[in-house]
Amino acid sequence: MNVTAAVFPLLVVVGGAILVLLLEAFRPRADKTPLAMLALAAVLGSAAAAVRLWGTGASAFGGMLRLDDAALVFTMMFFVVVVFTILIALRFLPRQNADFGEFYGLLLLALAGLMIMVSSSHLIVILLGLETVSVASYALTGLKRDDDRALEAAIKYFLMGSFASGFLVFGLALLFGTARTLEIPALTAAFAAPDGVPLLGLAGLVLVLIGFAFKIALVPFHMWSPDVYQGAPTPVAAFFTVGPKAAGFAVLFKLVAPYAPQALRSQKILTVLGVLAAASMLVGSLTALRQRNVKRMLAYSSIANAGYMMVAIVSGDGAGLMFFLAAYLFMSFGAFGSLIAMGGGGREHHELEDFAGLGFRYPWIGALFSIFLIALAGFPPLAGFLAKYYVFSEAVRKGLLPLVLIGLLASLISVFYYLRIIVFMYMREPERDLELDVDHPALYLVLFLCLYGVLQLGLFPGNVLSVFRRALGSLFL
Amino acid sequence: MSFPILSLITFVPLMGAVLLLFLPRERKTLLYGVALTLALLVFAASLALYFRFDAAFAGPQFVEKSAWLGFGIQFHLGIDGISLFLVLLTTLLLPIVLLSSWNSIRDRIKEYLIFMLLLETGILGVFLSLNLFLFYVFWEAALIPMYFLIGIWGGKRRVYAALKFVLFTMFGSLLMLAAIFTLSSLFFKATGAYSLNLFEQARMVLNPRLQTWLFLAFGLAFAIKIPMFPFHTWLPDAHVEAPTGGSVLLAAVLLKMGAYGFIRFAIPLFPDAVETFLPVLSALCLIGIIYGGLMALVQKDVKSLVAYSSVSHMGLVMLAVFSLNVEGTLGALYQMLNHGLSTGALFLAVGILYERAHTRAIKDFGGVSRQMPVFSAFFLIAVLSSAGLPGLNGFIGEISCLYGIFAANKIYAALAVTTVILGAAYLLWMFQRVMQGPITNEKILSFRDMDRREILYFAPIVVLMFWMGISPGTFLGKMDASVAAYVQRIKGRERVFVQKPGPAPESRRIDVREALSR
Repeated sequence: MNVTAAVFPLLVVVGGAILVLLLEAFRPRADKTPLAMLALAAVLGSAAAAVRLWGTGASAFGGMLRLDDAALVFTMMFFVVVVFTILIALRFLPRQNADFGEFYGLLLLALAGLMIMVSSSHLIVILLGLETVSVASYALTGLKRDDDRALEAAIKYFLMGSFASGFLVFGLALLFGTARTLEIPALTAAFAAPDGVPLLGLAGLVLVLIGFAFKIALVPFHMWSPDVYQGAPTPVAAFFTVGPKAAGFAVLFKLVAPYAPQALRSQKILTVLGVLAAASMLVGSLTALRQRNVKRMLAYSSIANAGYMMVAIVSGDGAGLMFFLAAYLFMSFGAFGSLIAMGGGGREHHELEDFAGLGFRYPWIGALFSIFLIALAGFPPLAGFLAKYYVFSEAVRKGLLPLVLIGLLASLISVFYYLRIIVFMYMREPERDLELDVDHPALYLVLFLCLYGVLQLGLFPGNVLSVFRRALGSLFL
Repeated sequence: MSFPILSLITFVPLMGAVLLLFLPRERKTLLYGVALTLALLVFAASLALYFRFDAAFAGPQFVEKSAWLGFGIQFHLGIDGISLFLVLLTTLLLPIVLLSSWNSIRDRIKEYLIFMLLLETGILGVFLSLNLFLFYVFWEAALIPMYFLIGIWGGKRRVYAALKFVLFTMFGSLLMLAAIFTLSSLFFKATGAYSLNLFEQARMVLNPRLQTWLFLAFGLAFAIKIPMFPFHTWLPDAHVEAPTGGSVLLAAVLLKMGAYGFIRFAIPLFPDAVETFLPVLSALCLIGIIYGGLMALVQKDVKSLVAYSSVSHMGLVMLAVFSLNVEGTLGALYQMLNHGLSTGALFLAVGILYERAHTRAIKDFGGVSRQMPVFSAFFLIAVLSSAGLPGLNGFIGEISCLYGIFAANKIYAALAVTTVILGAAYLLWMFQRVMQGPITNEKILSFRDMDRREILYFAPIVVLMFWMGISPGTFLGKMDASVAAYVQRIKGRERVFVQKPGPAPESRRIDVREALSR
């Protein structure tokens, strides 16, 4: 396989990003829709190029960048995420007085970073990808320049993110110093060897794990995320809940999964990760209970969901993780998309009280939002249930029953706060009249695609899981 | 594969709900017409099921089985003598409930009908599933429509009651889900193949300690649903706040899901654990019988009186189930149908009164029978059926329940008989205060008697009450074979006490290829 084929999808995305940014610089006042279309075209072109690599195991730069099937599965998810983000942002940004062409450029750059993260097994390259995503994310968070909350969120995100990067880089230095490699398979082998790595190396690994725990907002490294999600423009928040998290989980899985459970050290690491998972599920759910702002509630719910995904990581269940991410993608975009529909007259109405009576005044939005919430709460026969089912049943098989019981308890708590939104939508009389801007065809397209995804993955996932499993087989060749 | 009649019955209501979504909300007659037609269609189809059901065959009939999600998760439906009449009860009550809602549900009719049809799909799925996963899916799916029915069309404290209902039930069912995970994992370890097929799972022999935990998880889910004392506290709230139609389905069918779960899943899967827990379970049932009856005596609200009577009656049913013999199980199944009919009828009657008086407090009524003679007759029959008057259905059920309980334990039977006394007391006293005596409230003078619509939906229940009371053979005949096989399976099982979880003894191991080829 030649080099260009493996790099081509990435080149298309980066080229699209640069083109969008340049066009924006030279025609700042023009309508932004063509830029969005250009970005969409770049994503779709890249997707078309990436699909052809399926099963070929293309690689470039001496194996530094390897688009194996597992990487392609994640890359495909990112394409869907970015397409959805662009579509729900189309009418949203002008109404929010944040109609900057840079949005699309930055989004493409973030996409490029995500693609790099999942398609390398060298930690330095992964770090490069991560930093690309992070820098683009800081800027995206602060897109609404005149909004104090957005600025606060951007600065908080920047500071905390840099801090986490510091941990990560220091950990990498320790790892490289002790194990003499940053190639994940070689690292694993070094750790598995009986006289392999001195204690300092273990410290390095822990620091790296902490760095990633920051990035995917696991408890207790989650403090930044609710503020950032709430402050960021809603489409960007939706992007954050799935995109960077999926990439972080992919890297974590690569790092953690090969550890043989019988080795004492790796067992300890798995225990620590299990504790993080349990804490994320419980703290995320319990804190979400107290929120009156639905966007913030969804931010905490995404922390709890990160906990569920950690369960899959601890039990080494990559296919379950991928399935959960795919299901979560549709549920999360469905829910955040419904939040975008809750905008009117340049303002967003995200307080619980704003939802009172919505189910009967805007029946379609209410019904769709309810379905996404019910899916998030894990009721069958929707995707959220099946995702939890796969992850938890695999975990029980691996002997992680306590973790599963905590997960189920967290799900029970989550039922309460998800249903509370439905209570407001259907069982309360509205206190004031809300006029929503309903003219947003692209948003409805995304909502219906999410509905389709939630139903399809919940009822007839077909052989999705076995495709994921086969793709994962390519990971450890 | 033959004609998939069970799928048809289960999913026609769902399709109806989707169809209703696209009908205009102002056209009340059209909406009701579509929903009613579909509900009657489903009932007709289930009647066909009854006539073509082979009473001599004990196993599941009309079986449909196809691969679905892998990992032993199959789409597996079947009906046997245990589930047949519960399905019929559900499909019969749905048109009745829809008819009864014509006046009482004034706004958001479209959504109401949609949720009713979704609820029917969920309930029927529960009674028909033979795969643990599928069963769980329907079990949970039935929760959501009921939540909306209580929460949107309920009384003053509806939101509280609806949330309490969901959280109580969810708590139990999530533990059940954990138990299903464990069962699936154990089966995989024992045989190397995945299966959540009920019959294959039931052939797996688990050690008693493991059974205890798994049984507690399943049992709690079912006990909350029934509800058994002390998990009953959600029931009065849910009943009092629910709209009439919701109450009817809740009492008549949803509670039966718990009892059915015990008979179908918890007892056959964990027989040793059941045996260990029998004294505790029976004691809880007895407490439920007496406590429910006493609470019913002192209620001031007709609806919560009927709700507590449910606690008492379901206690008797469960006590008969735990007698683990043929008579008791048959009696329990029969009594479940009776309770469905009589309590359903009582809630309908309360609904009829409430539509006229807009109150349910017993003290506001008195002498209603002078104004409403026809209603009085119907109501009296429902009351007597619930109290177990010979000649009506309740008598047959109670007698065979008590007969089974007596065969298992004489003291339990002696205590359980109080249900007859208490039942007669609180029901007849309520009837006397509401329907007889002088008219104390002048509002009653303006009550009109039942109209044709109300007679239309009430009459089939009354006819059935007589029919089931005079000729129980029509119904028991279809149950006999399945119940006998069920009892035989539990009594005649090998008692294998393995010390730790692990592969089952060689003789009981399932041939993997055989399991997969079926």
